[in-house]
Amino acid sequence: MKKIWLAFAGLIAALSIGLSFSNSNPVSAADDGTFKVGMECGYAPFNWTQSTNAHGAVQIQGTKQWANGYDVQTAKIIAKKLGKKLVVVKTKWDGLLPSLTSGKIDAIIAGMSPTPDRRKSIDFTDPYYVSQLTVVTKKNSKFAKAKSINDFKGAKITAQLSTYHYDAIKQMKGVLRQPAMDDFPAMRVALESGTIDGYVSEIPEGITAQNANPDLTMVHFAKGQGFQTSASDTNLSIGVRKGYSETNKINNILGTMTKADRSKRMDDAVANQPSTAAKGNWFINILKQYGGMLATGTGMTLLISLVGTIVGFIIGLLVGIIRTIPAPKSTGKRGLLGFGKWLLSVYIEVFRGTPMIVQAAVLYYGAAQALGINMDRTVAALVIVSINTGAYISEIIRGGIISVDPGQFEAASALGMTHWQTMTKVILPQAVRNSLPAVTNEFIVNIKDTSVLSIISVSELFFTSETIAGQNFQFFHTYLVVCLIYLVLTFTISRLFRIIEKHLDGPKDYNVMTNQMQVETPKPKN
Amino acid sequence: MTETILEVQNLQKTFGQHEVLRDINLTVTKGEVLTIIGRSGSGKSTLLRGLNLLEAPTSGKILFHGKDIQDDSFDLAQYRAKVGMVFQNFNLFNNLTVLDNIMVPQMSVLKRSQADAKEHAIAILKQMNMDPFINAKPAQLSGGQKQRVAIARSVAMDPEVLLFDEPTSALDPEMVDDVLSAMTALAKTGLTMIVVTHEMQFARDISDTVLFMNEGIVAEEGTPEQIFGNPQEEVTRDFLKRYLKRD
Repeated sequence: MKKIWLAFAGLIAALSIGLSFSNSNPVSAADDGTFKVGMECGYAPFNWTQSTNAHGAVQIQGTKQWANGYDVQTAKIIAKKLGKKLVVVKTKWDGLLPSLTSGKIDAIIAGMSPTPDRRKSIDFTDPYYVSQLTVVTKKNSKFAKAKSINDFKGAKITAQLSTYHYDAIKQMKGVLRQPAMDDFPAMRVALESGTIDGYVSEIPEGITAQNANPDLTMVHFAKGQGFQTSASDTNLSIGVRKGYSETNKINNILGTMTKADRSKRMDDAVANQPSTAAKGNWFINILKQYGGMLATGTGMTLLISLVGTIVGFIIGLLVGIIRTIPAPKSTGKRGLLGFGKWLLSVYIEVFRGTPMIVQAAVLYYGAAQALGINMDRTVAALVIVSINTGAYISEIIRGGIISVDPGQFEAASALGMTHWQTMTKVILPQAVRNSLPAVTNEFIVNIKDTSVLSIISVSELFFTSETIAGQNFQFFHTYLVVCLIYLVLTFTISRLFRIIEKHLDGPKDYNVMTNQMQVETPKPKN
Repeated sequence: MTETILEVQNLQKTFGQHEVLRDINLTVTKGEVLTIIGRSGSGKSTLLRGLNLLEAPTSGKILFHGKDIQDDSFDLAQYRAKVGMVFQNFNLFNNLTVLDNIMVPQMSVLKRSQADAKEHAIAILKQMNMDPFINAKPAQLSGGQKQRVAIARSVAMDPEVLLFDEPTSALDPEMVDDVLSAMTALAKTGLTMIVVTHEMQFARDISDTVLFMNEGIVAEEGTPEQIFGNPQEEVTRDFLKRYLKRD
């Protein structure tokens, strides 16, 4: 038993040290010959994710997936002319600006418009594409034949969060503006399921949507009946950090691209989008086409929740040991101990009292922006889940310690055992056994809750499923498969822990009179 | 008499307003068996727990071989290893087997090797007739068996003094004799023992000195013959009348 504990602790220590040092490099603008470009990889035809390197796709940083699309092809040309290696960093739309300002990427090429609001925090190059707004709706909807933005009376319309698309809805008379949504895949799900009647989008995206899903169509507005837009909105530009050294060079490169070049690239992008209209059994198709991605996502989810739970468990044990230290005699030591215990309660209250999604955003973007620490997102995820779980498990272990009869503490001190010896040899083994069902709970919660880490674009299972759904437009089917994977994971874990608990309890029909180290044949007592 | 091991001077203990020990003075010499009798609430257990510093005294001194055990420089862990304690509720370590209950304290406090600790443990368990149960967990033992393991655990530390806090009070009557005979055997080895008990016959048979406590002070002290045969104080007579009638 002791050896297992030691090996366990060693493994975790090695793992956490390795992870924390391998990936953290100093912040921003370190000119290492790469051109790091952030994009969603989920906004076809500008950018999307695919599972092969077909049509000149570029591998997405830290994954076995490739990005392609108009943005990727444009980025390739720019990187080549800058003499740098292109690195595509898959980032959620909301994460693009903080990623740029905190130096995690060098540029945003993601179909982003240079709005005045965005110009406050970052700079933009000249436009690399000019788009027009449209509305995507269902083919059989009464709004499909609309010719003007005012033909949508009573329609429930939405658009992507933090885009000018969403503001443009205000121009449509009589529509019911719905809460903005995170990304295009989400809006397509909403449209298909009927919770909205349409969403505002740009024409290339509209073409993609109707190509990919025959049930959807893009509205064609009559001349002068479309959205009123300003150049700062319809222009798509490359976002760069203020004072970025390569901005002028990029503008020169953009200047050399002719209108014909750009149309050709967009046509290619529309033509090269991953096809989704697969025939045959949908379940087998999803597994065949995206099995690898799902496996990687599942692996990441398992890694984060497993390491998070184990490290959190160790944190919980240490906190449990410290919080039960009896008050020492000397005043100085007592003060120090009191302060330490106070710090621990602050830690527990803060991490239990705030959502993990917020903690992840603060740590990942905050550390980069305020302290200049550029953390690898997987490391950030591991750290956050571990610390967060640690706070919960500390309380669980405290309950476990309380449930051990205090006489055993007394007996141990009466024998001269130190607090550490008492805790590690007598109390904690019992406390841990008592806490195990609650710790299993934490583990299962972690498996599911790692999905919130998509805020820092960690490609765990949920993030992966969003990507897949964004590609194949089979939202219900994809999420059903992912649901099944989550269920298999959590079910396996709960069974596994039941077995561990039984093992810890020892055999039920234990015969005390038979033992392998018999010193003599037991004789019946008087 | 021979060398003094423990000396208690003007010991006082209050819990809030409640004064449990008022002014205790006593001396324990090597090899002496001292039993403490008295009513519930007279402070017997508190005194015993004070000797081990499980309860810090409010005032007064406890000297072990002439050294103040409340001194900052005093090695309390080693002292506790030398002054063992047996509890009313056994307080065995529930996660450990009988053998480990006895080995772990030896190894962690006295730094004995595993082999030495095991050999020692088995020898003592044999004396207690508990050797067939070395692989059992405490939950699988009866009360009397548990208490014999608890005694073995303390004895394995090779203590100079063993404190017994009502060791048979939580036992069924038929199990009391096993424990008492184990204790009698121990007393015969010359181990210094301080026993808080309600077993008057046992106290009479085993003790060198009997101490009657009443309301936080030592009301009367003497040999078993003096205390049980010819008690001087009214309170002692009152108390013994009730008990001896039952015997």
